[in-house]
Amino acid sequence: MTSARTGNGARKGSESAPVVVYDKVRKLYGDFVALDGIDVQVHKGEVMCLIGPSGSGKSTLLRCTNALETLDGGRVLIDGVALPTDERDARKVRQKMGMVFQNFELFPHKSALDNVAIGPITVLGMSEDKARERAMTLLEKVGLAAKANNFPSGLSGGQQQRVAIARALAMEPEVMLFDEPTSALDPETIGEVLNVMKRLADEGMTMVVVTHEMTFARRVANWVVVFDHGKVVEQGPPEQIFEAPHAERTRDFLSHLGWNG
Amino acid sequence: MNLDWSVVWNHRDELLHGALLTVLLTVLTMLVAVPAGIVLALMRLSNSKALAAASHWFVEFFRNLPLILVVYWAFYVMPVLLHIEFSAFTTGLVALCLNVSAYNAETFRAGINSIRKGQMEAAVAIGMSRWQAMKQIIVPQAWRRVLPVLASTWVSLFKDTSLVSVIAVGELAHVALQIRSQSFRVLEMLTAMAVIYWLMGYPQAKLVDWIQKRFEVKE
Repeated sequence: MTSARTGNGARKGSESAPVVVYDKVRKLYGDFVALDGIDVQVHKGEVMCLIGPSGSGKSTLLRCTNALETLDGGRVLIDGVALPTDERDARKVRQKMGMVFQNFELFPHKSALDNVAIGPITVLGMSEDKARERAMTLLEKVGLAAKANNFPSGLSGGQQQRVAIARALAMEPEVMLFDEPTSALDPETIGEVLNVMKRLADEGMTMVVVTHEMTFARRVANWVVVFDHGKVVEQGPPEQIFEAPHAERTRDFLSHLGWNG
Repeated sequence: MNLDWSVVWNHRDELLHGALLTVLLTVLTMLVAVPAGIVLALMRLSNSKALAAASHWFVEFFRNLPLILVVYWAFYVMPVLLHIEFSAFTTGLVALCLNVSAYNAETFRAGINSIRKGQMEAAVAIGMSRWQAMKQIIVPQAWRRVLPVLASTWVSLFKDTSLVSVIAVGELAHVALQIRSQSFRVLEMLTAMAVIYWLMGYPQAKLVDWIQKRFEVKE
């Protein structure tokens, strides 16, 4: 599986300006420092995995990317422009980013099809027919066309998460953010979600993925960032992180997960 | 004891009229108090401190006063203080609306708060405004959860409308009590009143049970 990876040397997409830049990002919850000066860049077409122990700040950074959390210091630049603090402007930026949540967060009172169509209808003002057509195409893409009329309660966890991915794609985002997308899933449905994500990566989608799936990170990511206590311990291509980590903390973390190359 | 039940039958038209007015009061009150409750709940949950405080104090004021006091107040004090004068019927309706709106506001607020925070985040993450998210995602879900509570409120309200009889609104309680004092047929009229209220209230209570089963939250 070499598809999405650029082999020797150059980081994927690094020839053009980065899509997302985290510049000395700081986030506090009361006295607790959740993010302590994060400097990371996401390049176009790149799959970046954020790994590290629970509570180390990975999800917080992801939520700062689309302004679900406000910053206490530093900047997040999207296409070179700082995230606006004004709610109305922030909405415009959010439309460029799709987000997939750990608990799916599908809208339970809407069918799978309407879950996917509601973004284009409400936010883009698309006609219902056109939006449903787009939604159907996306459900086909995630392999759930046959379940279009099911409500979320009638879908398995893996199916719900695939609908959630289609819902995010319906807004035609530039970047997809995944917040532990397989952590709430039964082991047998994790694969179907990871496969959809892998296909997206192969199509060149820029993705930031918070995950505990080290195999996925190893095989699909182009860049891996290791977090601990709100700081970046180490970042680099997966070969470095998983085979020859520079930081002691990275080695510890991976060995605790039972990772041995 | 010498009972004469014919007094009930002889006054059937007035009693029927009173019963219709009771139903009308209930329906009109709910028609006002449901939207008002939603608006008050949204004000309370909005980012505006002023709106939230206004809603909060409205609710705390009317929720913690006896309804009968609000009825009297609307009848005697409101015309003097605010120079607003309504018919007895409208005055009673206003008092009921103030009270039930306050209760409904709390019902809706609890319903909205019971929806997971992630639902709002998911809606906002696809680019919706908070207002769009409320309208499209949160309120429709909250609605199913509050419906059983609203149904119970309805049944309570149906009986509480009798309190506006104190300002001579001609609903069922007032009519029945009038007939009682004119005919001195106390036992007959109070019994008839109880029977009529019960016969009207029971099907509503059963309907509430059905609604509560039908809209049980499954997740």
